[in-house]
Amino acid sequence: MEMFFHGFMQRAFQASFLISLIAPMLGLFLILRRQSLMADTLSHVSLAGVALGLLIGVNPTFTNIILVSVIAIVLEYLRVVYRTYSEISIAILMSAGMALALVLMGLNDGGATLSMNQFLFGSIVTISEQQVWMLFVLTIMIGLLYLIFRKPLYILTFDEETAFTAGLPIKTMSVLFNILTGVTIAVTMPIVGALLVSAIIVLPAAISMRLSNRFNGVILIGIVLALIGMFSGLVVSYKVGTPPGASITLILLIVFVLTTLVKKISYYIKIERLFKRNDIL
Amino acid sequence: MMHYIEVKNLAFQYEEEPILENISYAVDASDFVMLTGENGAAKTTLLRNILGLLKPSKGSVQISPINRIGEKLVIGYVSQQVASFNAGFPSTVLELVQSGRYQRGKWFKKLDKDDREHVRRSLDSVGMWEMRHRKIGELSGGQKQRISLARVFATDPDLFVLDEPTTGMDTNSREEFYKLLKHNSREHGKGILMVTHDHQEIRHYADKHIELVRKEDSPWRCFSMDSCKELSKPHS
Repeated sequence: MEMFFHGFMQRAFQASFLISLIAPMLGLFLILRRQSLMADTLSHVSLAGVALGLLIGVNPTFTNIILVSVIAIVLEYLRVVYRTYSEISIAILMSAGMALALVLMGLNDGGATLSMNQFLFGSIVTISEQQVWMLFVLTIMIGLLYLIFRKPLYILTFDEETAFTAGLPIKTMSVLFNILTGVTIAVTMPIVGALLVSAIIVLPAAISMRLSNRFNGVILIGIVLALIGMFSGLVVSYKVGTPPGASITLILLIVFVLTTLVKKISYYIKIERLFKRNDIL
Repeated sequence: MMHYIEVKNLAFQYEEEPILENISYAVDASDFVMLTGENGAAKTTLLRNILGLLKPSKGSVQISPINRIGEKLVIGYVSQQVASFNAGFPSTVLELVQSGRYQRGKWFKKLDKDDREHVRRSLDSVGMWEMRHRKIGELSGGQKQRISLARVFATDPDLFVLDEPTTGMDTNSREEFYKLLKHNSREHGKGILMVTHDHQEIRHYADKHIELVRKEDSPWRCFSMDSCKELSKPHS
C-alpha cells in the first residue's frame, strides 16, 4: 500500500489509467489498417525528437510532438506512394528516425545519455504533473473523436475504397489518425519507453480482437486488458525495480498466451460436446 | 438533367503503357448497364477511373452530384475484393450491413426504425438474416459476397457500381440477384453499372451492354469500347 503514498506512483497510476483508455482505440485501428508497425516507426522517430529537444535545450516532449507529427504526415504520403508495399515506408522512416536520434545524441557530447536511457526504457519516477495533464487532454480528445467519428472510422478501416466512394475524406482522416497516434506515442514514451510503446498500444487490441465479435466490444475488452496490464506492470516495476514498459509488455504477453489457451480449450470442449450430443441422437 | 455517369473520351495509361482508350458512354437513372470484356480487359480499371480511385490520363468522367429528385446522389460500390475481408475484422454481419445506412445521412446520427427495417430486408433478400450475429471473418466466400450485396442494398443508393458481384454465388441466387437489380432500376429508378462475366445470364435483365475489346492496331494490350457494342436492350 505504501507505494500509493508516493507522488510519482500516483502520477504513474493516473498516466497508466489514461493510456489504458486510449491505447486499445488506436491499437485496433492500427491493426485493422495493417499499420501495427507504424507505432514502432513513430517511437523511433520520437527518440530523434527527444534527442533534438535535449540538444537545443527545449522541453523534449514538445520537440517530440512536432517532429512526430511531421513524420506522421510523411508516413501517409509514403504509404500512398508505395501502396502495394506499404511496409517500405515503415522501414525507411524507422531507420531514418533511429539514425537521426543517434546523430543528435552524438552531437550532444554524451551529456544527455541518462535522459535518453529514460526515454528508451521508460521511467515511472520521471512522470511529471504536466505529462499527466497532457495525457488527460489527449485522452479526452481521442475519446471524443472516437465517439463522434466511430462510424466513418469503421468504414475507413473496413475498406478504404468503400469509404472513398461513400464520400469520406480518407486522406485527411488518415493523416489526422497518424498525427494522433504520433502525439500519443510522444506523450506516452517517457513513461513506457520508446522500445516498447508500440507493444503497449497494439497488444491490448490484438488480444481483445480474439475475444469479441463486435467492434465496440473489442475496444471495451481492450481497455480492461490494458488496465490489468498497466496497473500490474507498474506494481511489479515498483516492487522489483524492473523497467515499467518491459514489465507491462510481459504481463500483456502472459495475458495473450492465457487467453489463447483458454480459447483453444473451450473450442475443444465445445467440439467434444457436439460429438457427444450427436452420439446420443 | 445530368447523366448519373458521363464518360467522355476516357483514356488511362499505367506509366507509359496505354490500358484504355476512347471510352465514352453515359449511365442514367433507371439504366441497367453491363460491362463485359475478356480477362484482363481493364474492366475494374475503368470502374476505378469512374469512381475517382484512379485518374484518367485523358478525357473526363462526370458523376452527377444530385439524383433524379434533386437530392445528393448516393453511390453504392461493391468492389471485386471487398468480399475478401480479413478473418480477424471484429464485426458481426449485422454491424457491417448496418454500416451501409451511414451514407444515408447517418454518419453522426443513430439508426432509426426505418434504417433497421432496410437492414432486415436487405439481409433477407440475400438469405443472410439468420446469420446476422456471426462474425464476418468466419463466413465462407459466397456468404461474404452476399453480405457485401446486402450492405449495398441497405444503403439504397441511387447508383449501383458493382464489380463482378456474383462471384461465388449459385445459379438460383444469381437469378434472384439480377431480378432484384432489375426491380430496383425499373421500379425505383436506380442506375446500375455492373462488371460481369455472366454475359448470357444478365442480357435478359440489363438494358445496355458495353464490351471492352482489344485494340488490334495497338502494340500494347490496350482496350477500347466499340461504339456498335453499346446496345439498347430490347430483351426484357
